[in-house]
Amino acid sequence: MMPNIKIIDVHKRFGDVVALNGVTLDVRDGEYVCIIGPSGSGKSTLLKIIAGILKPDKGEIYFDDSLVNDIPIDKRGIGLVMQDILLFPHLNVWENITYSPLVRGLSPLLVDELGNEVIGYLDLALDKRMYPDELSRGAQQKVAIARALTAGPKILLLDEPLGSLDAQTAKEFRYELRRLVKDLKLTAIHITHNQEEAMSIADKVVVLRKGRIEQVGTPLELYTSPKTPFVCRFIGGEANFFEGSIESREGLNAIIKLKGGTLLRTQTDIPSGARVVVALRPEDISLTRRNNASFPGFNSLEGIIEEVHFLGPYLRYVVDTEEGLVIVRAKRSARFMKGEEVTLSFNVFHIFPYPKEGLRKAIAYE
Amino acid sequence: MLRLRNSRVQEKLIAWSGLVVLLIFVFFPSFYLFSFVIRLWPSVYIEVFAHPILGDVYWKEMLRYLSLSLRLSLVTVVIDLLLGVPLAYLLVKRRFEFEGFLEDLTMLPLVIPTSGFGFATMLAWTASYSLPTLFGIRIGLDTVVPVIKIPLLMLIVHVALTFPYVVKTVSGALRDLKASYEVISSSLGAHPLTTFRKVTLPLILPSMFSGAVLALARSLGETGATMIVAGVSTTAPIAIVRWEFENKVAPAAFLGALLVALSLIIIVPTEYLLTPGKKGRRLLPKGLEARLIRLERSTPRSFALLRDTASLAFLMVIVVLPMLMLIYNSALYWASDPYTGRREGSILYQLFGPPRYWDVIMRALTTSLITATLSTLLSVYISILALFLIMRYNIGRFIRVLLKIPLVIPTSALGLSMILLWGPKGLHILNPGLWLIVLTHVVFSVPVIVETSVASYMEANLPIYEDTARSLGATFYDVMETITLPMIKRGIVAGSLLAFTHSLGETGATFIVMGDHTTIAPLIVNMVESLAIPSAIFSSLILIVLSFIMLAIMRKIVG
Repeated sequence: MMPNIKIIDVHKRFGDVVALNGVTLDVRDGEYVCIIGPSGSGKSTLLKIIAGILKPDKGEIYFDDSLVNDIPIDKRGIGLVMQDILLFPHLNVWENITYSPLVRGLSPLLVDELGNEVIGYLDLALDKRMYPDELSRGAQQKVAIARALTAGPKILLLDEPLGSLDAQTAKEFRYELRRLVKDLKLTAIHITHNQEEAMSIADKVVVLRKGRIEQVGTPLELYTSPKTPFVCRFIGGEANFFEGSIESREGLNAIIKLKGGTLLRTQTDIPSGARVVVALRPEDISLTRRNNASFPGFNSLEGIIEEVHFLGPYLRYVVDTEEGLVIVRAKRSARFMKGEEVTLSFNVFHIFPYPKEGLRKAIAYE
Repeated sequence: MLRLRNSRVQEKLIAWSGLVVLLIFVFFPSFYLFSFVIRLWPSVYIEVFAHPILGDVYWKEMLRYLSLSLRLSLVTVVIDLLLGVPLAYLLVKRRFEFEGFLEDLTMLPLVIPTSGFGFATMLAWTASYSLPTLFGIRIGLDTVVPVIKIPLLMLIVHVALTFPYVVKTVSGALRDLKASYEVISSSLGAHPLTTFRKVTLPLILPSMFSGAVLALARSLGETGATMIVAGVSTTAPIAIVRWEFENKVAPAAFLGALLVALSLIIIVPTEYLLTPGKKGRRLLPKGLEARLIRLERSTPRSFALLRDTASLAFLMVIVVLPMLMLIYNSALYWASDPYTGRREGSILYQLFGPPRYWDVIMRALTTSLITATLSTLLSVYISILALFLIMRYNIGRFIRVLLKIPLVIPTSALGLSMILLWGPKGLHILNPGLWLIVLTHVVFSVPVIVETSVASYMEANLPIYEDTARSLGATFYDVMETITLPMIKRGIVAGSLLAFTHSLGETGATFIVMGDHTTIAPLIVNMVESLAIPSAIFSSLILIVLSFIMLAIMRKIVG
C-alpha cells in the first residue's frame, strides 16, 4: 500500500518572514510531484515540514490518513535527499549505504542483503570502499539516493536533488530518478527551481509563490492554461506581457485594446471595460517579412528587429513594436537580420484580469 | 614601473621588519630559557643534580611538582571534555532566550583575572556557608581527591579555567558542521545518540582534540588561581615563582625550560597532525557495534533534557556560584567582620581606614590599565606586521604554528624568561617594573591578536579582494589601507579586547617581572596571602565587573 499525503492549511513563519501562508495539497499514492517556485517561495520550508525537520505553526500533515505532526523524523518512513548530497564524509560508500539498516539495529545478514539489493537497483558500478570525496558529484548523489532507499521509505523527499550536478548530468539523471521512483512504487515530492526539470518528469506540478500555492496541475495544464500571469511567466521560461482593456464583448468573443492601440480578437469572459493583462509566449508568435500589401488588422503587430540571439534549435529575436519590446522565438529556417521590418502574428494568448498589485509585481520572481 | 618597484620594496621592507619584530618581542623571550639553561649548563647541573650539600634534592622536588602538574592537567582535560562537549552542544543546538548571556558566562573564565576567580572559587567551596557544607561536607585547601591524589580545589579551579577552550572549539566545529548531516542521519532512522556517536562525534573530533590540547597546555601553566588555592601543594609553575623569589635562578630556569619543552611536545605535533579527520576506521567490532546500537535505541529521548540540565548545573556550580559568593561576601564583609563583628575586619575599614587599601588598589588598578593599554597597542602594531608576513609568504604557516607557542608557555616560565633576558640578570636593558610588564604581556598578546585577525582574514576571503584592488592599479600600501585593514578590523578589535582583558588579569608572569609596580591581579594573591580577605573580596569583585564590561563591549563590537 503506497501512502498518500495530505497537507491541510499549513502556516509557517520565521520571525517577521512568512514562509508558508495556508498551503493545502493532496499527493496521491505513487505520484511524482514537483514543487517549483522562485527562491524564497517557501518550497524548502514545505518539504522540511513534510519531512518533520520543521514544525508548522498551524495546519496538519497526514500520511495515509494518520496525523504525523508529532511524529519525529526518524519514525516517518521517509527518504530524504538534499542538494548538498551530505554523504557522511568519514564513512565509505558501503558504510554510507548500509548506515540506515545498521543504526536501526537490523541483523548483520539483513544489513548486507539490503545494501546489495539497493546497489543492484541503482546499477552502482563503484568500488564500495571509496570515500565520498573520491566520487564525482553524480556518483555521490546516486550513493545518497541509495542510502535513502535502504531505509525502506515509502515516500521520497527530494530537495533540489539535481541542483549541485552539472547541467548535462542533471538532465540525464532526472529521467533515471523518475524511473526509479516508479519502479519502486514510491511516492515522491521533488523540489526544484528549474521549471524545465519539473515539467519533464512530474505527474503533477505545484507552483509556489510567496508561501502560497499559485496553481496545481499536470505540466500540460500549467503550460496551456496558467491561472495567473506569474504561472504563465514561470512555466515555459519567458513570456511577453501587455496591458490593455476589454474594448467590447459579445458572448465570449471580445476585442481587447492594448496600451499602444493594437487590437486583439479573442475569447474571454472578462466583462467589457475591465483592465486586463495579455500574455504571449515567444514561441507562439510567428514572424513574417513586412510588405506593403499587408494590412494592419487584428492579432498582429509591426516592428523592427532589435536583437538576434542564436540559441541552437531556435533563434530569439527582440522586436521593437508599438507595444514595446517583444520577444519572439522562431525556427532557424527563416532568418531575419537586425533592423529588418517584420510583422508579428499570433492567435493563442492568455488573458488575465489586471492584478491588484500591478503587473510588474504580479510577475516578479522575488 | 617605478611605482611598481617601489611597491615591491615597501612590501619586502614590511615583511622583514615584521620578522625582526616578531623575533625580538615574541620568539626570543619564548625560547630564551633554553639558551639560558644550555649556556649555564655546568652551574645548572651542579645546582639541580649535584649540589654539594643538597645533592639532587631540587631535581626530586621538580619531578614531584611536574608529576602533580601533569596529573592535574590530564584529569582536568578529561573532565573538560566530559562536561564541555555537552555544554557546547547545548549552546549550539538549542534555541532559547538568554542564549547570548549563557555563552558569555561560558567564556567568562577566559577573560576573568585568574587570581580573582581563584579566590571566588575558594570562597564558594570552603567558606563555612558554602555549598558543600550545606550537605555536611567540609572541603578545605587540603582536601585531596583519592586515587589520583590531586587537591580538589585545584582541580575545580583548573576545570573552570580551561573548559571554555573545549566549549569554544567544539561549539565552533558544531556550528560549521552542516546540521543537515544529523537530519539525514535521523531520516535514516538513527536514534539521536547513535547519530551523535556515528556522525557528529567523528566530524568534530579534530576540534575536540585541539580544544583539549589548549586546555591541557593552559592547565599545565596556570599560576594565578592555583597559587590562591594551592595550600601546601606545589605545582611546577608555582615552584618557578617561588624559586625566583628565593633567588634560586638555576632550578627555576631549568624547571621553566622543562615546562616549555613539555608544552612544545604537546602542541607542535598536534598542530601539524590535525588535518580535518575524515576517513574513519572501524573502531568497534561488529558485535559490539550492534549491541551499542541496541542500547542507544532503548535510551529514552528524554536523556537530552537530562544532558542539558546537567550541563547547565555544571556551569552554575563552577562559574556562576563563585561570582555569586563574591557578591554575597562583599555584602557580608561590607561594614564589619561577620564572625567577630569587629569593624577592623570590614571592607570599608580596610579600604578607607588606616590600612588605606583603597589607595593600594587604585594604584594597582591604574598600573594594570596602563600596562594593558600599552601592551595591547604595541601588540596590535606588531600583529599587523606579522599578519602581513603570515598571509603573503610561505613561511607564514610555520610562523602561525610558532605563534601558538607563547599561548601555551606556562606564564611563570615566561616571566622568568623575560627577567633573565631583559632584566638585570641578563641584557640589563630594563629593570622589573612597568615596561618589563608591558614587554611580557606583548609576548602572549601578539598571538591572540594574530589568531583572531587571521581568522577574519580567511573568513572575508581577502586575497580575492586584494588582487582585484591590485588589478585596478592600487599599490601595496593602498591595498593595505583601503582593503585589508578595514576588512579585518573586527578581528583585530576582538583580538585586542581579548589581549587587553588577558593582560589585565595576568598573574603568573607579572608576579615575577613587576618589581614595585604591582598590578591588580598579583595584588589579590598578595592580599590573600597576607590574609587581607575583605580587600581581596573587593578587588576580585572589581576585576570581575571589569571583565564583564569588556565581554559586553566585545559582544557589541564583534556581534
